[in-house]
Amino acid sequence: MAISPNNLEPQNARETKAPAAAKLKSLPVRRNQVDSAGKIETGADLTEHLNLEIKNKYEKDRKLGEGTYATVFLGHLKKDPKSEVAIKKIKVMQEYKDGISVSAIREIKFLQELSHPNIIAMHDVYSSKNQNLCLVLEFLPLGDLEMLIRDSEGIRYGTADIKAWMAMLGRGVWWCHENFVLHRDIKPNNLLIAANGEIKLADFGLARSFADPYNRMTWNVITRWYRPPELLYRARHYGGAVDVWSVGCVFAELILRVPYLAGTSDVDQLDKICQAIGSPTEQNWPGVSELQDYVKSESIRPLQKKESFLGLFGTVGEGGVDLLMSTLILDPRRRVTAKQFLQHRWWTSEPRPTKTENLPRKGGVSAREKVGEDLKRRGGELDNDKGADKVARKLDFGNRSKQAV
Amino acid sequence: MNEDDIYRTSTQFRFWTYTAKALTDLRASSNSLAASRVRDAIKRSREQGSKSETSTNNAVPEVDCLTVEEEQKLVGWYCTKAMEFCDFSEFPKAVKATAVQFLKRFYLSTSPMTYHPKQMMLSAIYLATKVENFYIGIAEFAKMIPKTTADDILAPEFLLTQGLRFTFDVRHPYRSLEGGIMELHEMSRGSYIPPHGSSFTTEDVRVGILKVKSHRGKPATMTPDECAERIKRAHNKAGDILTKGALLTDAYFLYTPSQIWMSALLAADKPLAEFYLHIILSGTPNGSVSEPSSLELRLLSLLEQCAGLMTRSSSRGPDETETMELKRIDKKLYHCRNPEKIDLVGMNKAVKEGSNGDKVDEEKVVKKRKIERDRAAKEEQDLFGAPLKK
Repeated sequence: MAISPNNLEPQNARETKAPAAAKLKSLPVRRNQVDSAGKIETGADLTEHLNLEIKNKYEKDRKLGEGTYATVFLGHLKKDPKSEVAIKKIKVMQEYKDGISVSAIREIKFLQELSHPNIIAMHDVYSSKNQNLCLVLEFLPLGDLEMLIRDSEGIRYGTADIKAWMAMLGRGVWWCHENFVLHRDIKPNNLLIAANGEIKLADFGLARSFADPYNRMTWNVITRWYRPPELLYRARHYGGAVDVWSVGCVFAELILRVPYLAGTSDVDQLDKICQAIGSPTEQNWPGVSELQDYVKSESIRPLQKKESFLGLFGTVGEGGVDLLMSTLILDPRRRVTAKQFLQHRWWTSEPRPTKTENLPRKGGVSAREKVGEDLKRRGGELDNDKGADKVARKLDFGNRSKQAV
Repeated sequence: MNEDDIYRTSTQFRFWTYTAKALTDLRASSNSLAASRVRDAIKRSREQGSKSETSTNNAVPEVDCLTVEEEQKLVGWYCTKAMEFCDFSEFPKAVKATAVQFLKRFYLSTSPMTYHPKQMMLSAIYLATKVENFYIGIAEFAKMIPKTTADDILAPEFLLTQGLRFTFDVRHPYRSLEGGIMELHEMSRGSYIPPHGSSFTTEDVRVGILKVKSHRGKPATMTPDECAERIKRAHNKAGDILTKGALLTDAYFLYTPSQIWMSALLAADKPLAEFYLHIILSGTPNGSVSEPSSLELRLLSLLEQCAGLMTRSSSRGPDETETMELKRIDKKLYHCRNPEKIDLVGMNKAVKEGSNGDKVDEEKVVKKRKIERDRAAKEEQDLFGAPLKK
C-alpha cells in the first residue's frame, strides 16, 4: 500500500513541471508570421514546447523496417552521436478512422509504466508534425530469441544458457504481473536481445491490465502456438496464468529448437496439447467443462507422466523438467505464478546460469534488421513470409455487445 | 521492493503528483502564458480586420482574460458534465474517472482560453474508453451525442494526448477500497490474519471491531450482523466519495490512491477507519500497542486533510449562485478565447493534409479558415444546447 511514511508528505513529490513551466514562460513569444503557404504560425503551447524539446533530442539516421502499422528508424541522441535508439513511428492517420489506434494506446500506456531491465525501455514519446506518434525505444541490436533458436547450425547453446534466458524472461513477466499487466503475446520473436545479451520483452500492443472480477476479457489473444488451453476454450475470465503458459512454450522451444506445440488451427492446437500433455477433464481441471468451447473428446488421453517429459526435455535436468511441467499445467489455477516460477529450486541448482555477457549471440547486419522487422509489427501479427494465419489480432472491437477486450 | 516503490515508478507519481504549491504555480504560469497568447492573437486578428478600413489604431480595450480561479471553475463544470454523460451512457466508472482525470491533467498546462473544455471533454471521454478497455467505434460513439460528428470528437484527440504527455495510465482507488472492505468483513467474521509482527490475534481483532465506537463517539457493542451492516454503509458512502469528490478535487494530484480510499473511508466512518488503520499498522514498530504510534498519527492527519478536501462543498455539483457565476465566466470566455485555436477540426485537417496545400490560393485558404472558424464558433454555442442553464 502506498501509504508508507515515504509517501506521507506530498511535499516530497517531485516538482517536475514547475521548472519547465518557468523556463518556457521566459521564452520569447513567437510573433505571427504569414508564411508563403498562407498558414498562420502561432505561438506554441507549453505542451507543444515540451514535445518539441523531446523531438529535438533525437536524430533519425536510417530506416530499419516498414510495415502497415509502423515504420522503424535507427536514430541517436543529438547530444551523443554514438548512442543508438530505435524510433518507432506509428502511422496514426493512415488506416484508422477511430483516432489513435487501441494497440498504439496500449503499447504507449504500458511501456510508460513498466520500467524493468527485462522489458524494452521506452525513453520518450513525441509527435511529429503530421501527428504521427513516435516512440523512442532502446535499440536492441542482437535480434530476437527466435533467430537464435532457429539457427541450429550456427548457434550452439546449453542448459546454462537456457537458464539465463528463462530467468530473464521470468523476471520480465513477473514485473508485468506485479504491475497488474497481462502481456498476452509472449513468443520468441517478441523477446529481443540487447547489446549486452539481456533479453527484453517487447510488443505490448495486446497487453491490458487485469480485469476487475466479473469483467469479461477476450479469449482471442496470444499467438496460437503459445496460447493456453483456457483461451482455446474461450474463457472470458483469466489471469497471469495465460502468460505463464506461453513462458512454458518458449522454454520447451528453447530446448527442442522447434516450436513445441505448433497447431495448424485452433482445433489442432488443442489436439496437440492433449497429445503432449493430456486431455483436460473435470478431474484434472475442475470447472473446465463449463468453458464456452469445451468439447469432451471421445478419446481421453491421460496426463503424461514426468518420465515422458524427461525423455524429451531431460537435457535441462530433473529440476528444469519439473519447472517446465509446472508452467504447462492444464488447470490455470494450479499452474505456477510468475513469482513461484522464479522461486523454483532449478535456479539455484547446478549448472549456474551463464553470465549475460557470455551468452551465445548472433551479431551482424541480419540481427539489426530483424529488430526493425520485430518492432514494426503490432501485437499478434507475424512476419508476412511465415504464412499461416496464427494471428491473434482481431479483437472484438467495434461491437458493443462484446465489449470484452 | 514494496508497493510504495512500485507506485513511485508510475507516471501518475512521476508526472502527475504535485505539492499544493507546485500545483498553484503551474496553473498560474499556464494561465499567464495563455493570456498573453490570447492578447497577441486578438490583436493580430484586429489588425487584419482593420487593414481594409481606415486604421484608427488606438483605443482598443485590453482583453479581459480569465483568472486561474475562473478557469478552474469552468473546467470543474465540464468535468461534472463529463461525469453526467458517462453515467447517462452507463460507462464503467473507470472510464468516467479516467476521462475526468484526463481533463484535469490537460488543463494544468493548457488554458480554457486556448482550447475550450467543451471541445476537449468528448475527446477525453472517447480516449478514456480506449484506455479503459471499453472501446466503442467512433461512429457509434458520435451517435450518442446530438449535433456532434466523429471529426468533432477526434480533432482534439491529438492535442489531448500531447497535453497528457502521452501518459494514459490513471491509477484509481476503487480496487483498493474493495480490498480494504473485504478485510474489514474478514475482521468482523474472525478470519482476518493480522500482519506479520503484530501482537494482535485474529480473535483480538474480531472482538475489537465489534466494539468500535459509533460516529458520535459512543461506546458500542455490535453483533456481527450489525457490524457487517455498518461496514456496508461505510463502503457505500466511501464509494460515493470516490466517484464524486475524489474526482473533482485535486486529490489525485496531491495524494496516492491508497491515501485517497482510506481518506474516503475516514470521511465515511471515522472510528471504523481508525480501527482499521491501527490494525494494519500493528506489524510496524510500536504499532501493536493500544496507543496510536507516531506514524499512525502522521498518517491520520494526512488522511484528515485529504478527506476534508474531498468532502468540501466545491466537490459537489454547483448550486444556484455558482451556476450564475459559471454563466458569467462562460460569457467572459467568449470574448477572450484564442481566435486561432477555435476551429480544431479545420486545424486538424490542415495538419493531416500536410504541406500539400501549398499551391492553393492564399486568400482562399485564409477566407475558408475564417468561415470555418466562424461556423465552429457558432456551433460551439449550441453544441450541447445552452449548457449553463440548469
